Parts: sequence; C-alpha cells; structure tokens
Amino acid sequence: MLKRNFLSRISRRTVIKGAAAVGALQVTSPFIIKALGDTPVKVGMVDPLTGVYAAYAQNEVTGAKLALEQINVRGGVLGRPIELLVEDSANDVGTGVQKTRKLIERDGIQFLIGDVNSAIALAIGQVSNEKGILHIVSGGHTDGVTGKDCHWNVYRVCNTTSMEANAVAEQLFTKYGKKWHFITPDYAFGHTLQQAALKDLEKFGGTMTGNELTPLGTTDFSAYLIKARAANPDVLLVLPQGGDMINCMKQIAQFGINKQIHVAGLQQELESLEAMPPEARVGTWMFEWYWKQPGVPHVEKFVADIRKMNFSKVPTARHWFGYTSLMTYALVANREKTLDGVKLAKALGGFELPDDVKLQPNKCYYRAGDHQLMTSSFVGQAKTAGKDDVEDLFEVNTVVPGDKTSPAESDTGCTLQWPA
Amino acid sequence: MTQLLLFNVTNGLIIGAFYVLMALGLSLILNLSNVINFAHGGFLVIGGYIAYTITPYVGFWGALLIAPPLTAVIGLAVERVLIRPLYGRDPLYSLLLTFGLAFIIEDGTRFIWGAQGKPVTIPAFLAQPLSYEFFFITGYRLFMVAVVLFTVALLFLLLRYTRLGIRIRAGTLDLETVSALGVNVRALRSLNFAVGIYLAGLSGVLAAGQLGLEPTMGAGVLMPSFIAIIVGGVGSLTGTLLGGLLIGVASGLAAVFLPAASEAIMYVLMAVVLLIRPRGLLGEEGMMT
Repeated sequence: MLKRNFLSRISRRTVIKGAAAVGALQVTSPFIIKALGDTPVKVGMVDPLTGVYAAYAQNEVTGAKLALEQINVRGGVLGRPIELLVEDSANDVGTGVQKTRKLIERDGIQFLIGDVNSAIALAIGQVSNEKGILHIVSGGHTDGVTGKDCHWNVYRVCNTTSMEANAVAEQLFTKYGKKWHFITPDYAFGHTLQQAALKDLEKFGGTMTGNELTPLGTTDFSAYLIKARAANPDVLLVLPQGGDMINCMKQIAQFGINKQIHVAGLQQELESLEAMPPEARVGTWMFEWYWKQPGVPHVEKFVADIRKMNFSKVPTARHWFGYTSLMTYALVANREKTLDGVKLAKALGGFELPDDVKLQPNKCYYRAGDHQLMTSSFVGQAKTAGKDDVEDLFEVNTVVPGDKTSPAESDTGCTLQWPA
Repeated sequence: MTQLLLFNVTNGLIIGAFYVLMALGLSLILNLSNVINFAHGGFLVIGGYIAYTITPYVGFWGALLIAPPLTAVIGLAVERVLIRPLYGRDPLYSLLLTFGLAFIIEDGTRFIWGAQGKPVTIPAFLAQPLSYEFFFITGYRLFMVAVVLFTVALLFLLLRYTRLGIRIRAGTLDLETVSALGVNVRALRSLNFAVGIYLAGLSGVLAAGQLGLEPTMGAGVLMPSFIAIIVGGVGSLTGTLLGGLLIGVASGLAAVFLPAASEAIMYVLMAVVLLIRPRGLLGEEGMMT
C-alpha cells in the first residue's frame, strides 16, 4: 500500500512538475543553434514562428541556418563561430519588441535579423537603433523601413512595397487595361502597397474603380468580390498576403471571376501558391526570388542545399531572405575586420553581393542613401501545375533589376541620422 | 444598387449558415456544461486536417463522412481527461483550459502538418457558379447550406424527440434534478460534448473546401460564432440559429457601404442587442448566472 502510494505520488505529481519544468524551459530559453568553438559571435533572429505568417518565418529561419552552416565551415566571423538565437515574435508587436530587447540586453547579440511582419519590423528597428545594433529586416515590406522611418543601423533585404508595385504596374497597364480595382488588406503593408500601385496607375493615365479594404484575417471575400465585379474593371489586384490571399484566390476561382477580369497582384509567394488548389493558381504576379533560374550561377547548388534541410522542398524567396541577411553580415564583418555596428553599417552602404549570395542575374547591392537592397523582381504568371517539378508553379517572364523598380533615394523620404 | 444589396443579403445568409453550424456546437456545450469552449475553432481545424489527410484514400465524400466522427472521438477524449475534472468549478477554469488548448491544437497542427497551408480540392462540379448573374452562388456554397440545413434539422429532431435530446434539454434547465432522477449526468455531458465537437469537425471539412486550410484558420470563425450565441441569446439554440444568420447578413451588408467595417459590424450588432435586450434575442432571463 505504502509502495503504491509512493509510486502514485511519483507518477503524478513529480511527472507533472517535471513536465511543467521542461515546458517552462522551452518557453523561457531561446532555441539556440550551437556552433563549435569558444566565444561565438551571437546573432539574433526575431520572426513570427507562430501565427498567420509562420510558414514564411520558418523558411527565413531555415535559410539563415544554411548560411550559418556555410559561414562556420568557412571559419566563421573574424575566426569566431556564429551562434544563431531564434525568437518567436508570435506576430505581435509587443512580443517582438520584448524578445528583441531580451536578445540584445540579456544574450548580448551583435547583429539582428527580422521580422516578416512590417509593423514588427518597424518597431524592433527602433529598439535596435536605440541600442546601436546592426539590423537587417529580412521580410517586412512596408516602405517606411527604408523610407521615412529609416535608421542608420537598419538595412533591408526584401523589396519595398513601392518596388513591388513598380515592377508589375506598367506591364499590367499596357497588357490588360487601364481600369483597376483593388482588394487591399487593411494595415500598414496593404496601404503602402495600394498607394504605390495607384500612383503608378495615375501616372500612366488609368483610373481606379474601387478599393476594398479588407480586415486582416478575413475569411470570406465574396461581399468584396461582388462589389469588385459590379464595378467592371479591367484588372483586379489582389493585395492580401498569406491565408487571406489564399482564401481570396480560392473564392475568385470558384466564382469564375478570373475568366471575366484579369487577376493580378504585386507580391506572390511560393508558400501561398502551394497552399492553393490548382484552379486558384492564376494571374500576373511578382516573385521576389524564384528557384528556377536556368544558367544563373550557384542557384542550383543553393536549391540542392535547401532541399537537404527542407524535406526535399525547394527554397522560396523567404529562404533566400534569411540566407542573404546572415551572409551579408558575415561578408561585411570579415571584409572590414570588425564587429563595430557603426563601422559595419557605414561599410554596407554600396556593398555588392557576390554571385553565390545574390543568386540572380542582375547586380544586387545595398543602397547607401536608404539602406535598401537593390534586388530583382521576377515578374510572370502563376501556373496551375508544375511540369517537371510539382513546385514549379510560376512562369518568369522578366527579371527587373532593383534600381529600375526602386524610387530614387531622394524620393524615399529617408534621412539617415548617424550617431555623433 | 438594389441588385448589389440583394446579392449581399443572399450571400450573407450563406455565410451565416456556416456560422450557425459552428455556433450550435458551441452553444450545446455551453448550455449543458457551462463550458465556454475556446478550443472549438481548434476542433474545426482538426476536422479540416483529418479530411485533408484521408481525402487521397476515401475522396471528398468519404472525408465528409469520416472526419467529423473522428474529430468527435478526439473531443470525447479531451472532455474525459481534461474538462471533466473542472465541471464542479467556476466556468473560468474551463475557459482558461480551453483557451490554452486552442493554442496547443494550433501548434500541434503546425507540428504535424507544417506551417504552410494545404490545398483541399472539392469535386469539380461543385466548384462552379450556378449562373453568370449569380456568380457568387457556387455549387459548393449551396451544398454547404444544404448540409447545414440537414444537420440543424437532425439536431433539432434529436433534441426534441429522442431520450438523449430530452435529457440534454432538461439538463440545460436543471442539471441537479436530472441527476437526482437517476440520469447518468457524466455520460450525458460527454455525449453532448461529442455532438458539439462533431459539428465543429463537420464545419472543418466544409471550411477546408471553401477556405485555405491553415493551423490558424480556427480563430477567424470562432469569434463570429460566439457573437451569434450572444446575439441569439445564451441558452436558446433557435436564438443561436437566428444570431448566426443575422451576423452573416449584417457583415454582408456592411461590405457594401463600409467595407472596412464588415467585421466590426458584428461587434456593434452585439453591443446594440446587449444594450436593448441583455439576454439576447431569444435568450431566457436568468440563464448563465
């Protein structure tokens, strides 16, 4: 009896306590990817690993992990290995800021990457600026990051919303017509994207038949689509991202709207196309990076390397963002032979990415005036099904260089304030 | 303009029907067991993902039949292990438990099926609009409404004419007396919970055909379902039915005049109903004290 009691105490209380302790550990300590050697250079990454952008964020982290592996094999940064500390911003501004502070103040990171969510990217950019930590925004697109809210320490790898709009707008206008109707997600990213496209449309002399502002997390788009079709535009621009875009495109296909109006968007991602049924994969879009680039050096190797870490799936633009962000840091730090934030931030102005990192045909460099990477846009059409590979869901028509799509440095609204 | 209004009212009814299915399950559980099931959206996700997993083997129709009962079995296990010990306590305990459970289910789905959404293909003949004019009425939407109508009718018949149903209704009014009369209240609550989760699973399969299947998709339909219950009146299933349709139509109409408010309108509607008639449209006074 005594023995039974004792056993039951162990099996219940102790196990529960143990489980709770293990659970708490998981929550409180960051997910550390250790590298060999002493006194590693710590790099922090804040991305929404949970929430609606989880798929994008996880791919950015995988890309950064590949970079980490390659950098450490080649001798790390200034002879020291890199250690990557990944934190989940949970797609929440407050959490993102808190995690960033923790990475900087407690873990002592030298360099920061993140976030997918534009609002979080802006907020943690302020924190990294306050602390003087070099920071690359991997995947938040809103103009402000390298526009009016730019900082001396913040660079960005992915395109600005203006660049995305400029990449597609002219082709849409000349090929498909001058009356456009927008479906716009109702937050910072959506607004700047829509305004940029509208600016282009007006410049070409076209008109907007309407702009449907849809709350983030909208599941049913039929009411907006009814309005859009009633307005009878030439082009329907679908600007929501992630799950919202998938829902919207599914409903467009089911309603047969794509057979009456040309459907297009300014940003499309492989993660989204793969989550749609074949009939919804239609329209003109821009990809920020695409895995199939015949003849472009090093791309095939990158695809093979990511496949090894990614359940045999091909890399997406997000993998490339994460990879390029961390590679940039290692390259510039090794060239300058310093970890000093200000010196590195200065050195990154005009820094050109080598072939094995840029993985695209055009010149790819960080602009000194606004800290924006001049990266290409891959404009083309979505494909319902891949021919040679199930993941080949996009037909690239043109690859437009970044300095063709980006507004002039003087028009971005960015004034960099360097520390005295 | 009239046409646009008509379009959106019809469309709102179709969306409302879907909310009804979710809200009825929530309402059943809330009425009998006083459990505010925040994990209901999670069970919808589980239903959807089970359907996605078995569709290659049994087809869409097979999944529609098999996935909801499988979800109900999972629900039954959750009720037995996690929720039952909390019945005697303040509803706040079960609320917190299911709130946490919702996160666990979301992360669990992400762990098993991945963060990236999954495509679910519905039979081709359902994925088309019925006419050029009424393009937003697709075969699938009509099919959804038919399934909802059939299920709701079945549920009301079950509650009205079967012994189980009568006990559930009696238990909703006075569980102690029902218990004193020799009814096994534990089994009654379990069965009732399973029926509620079955409805969530069914919603999940239907939603997977209409929306993108994602670990986070449950959250988007959970709030409208709660609002449907509150607007309709806690304790009244007919009220829930009415509430669901009403918020569907309201958000459809808001999309015509003030698109950005199409979600907020539900909350406004709820606030207005609560101000004018705090017990909800068909709710009885004194429920949920």
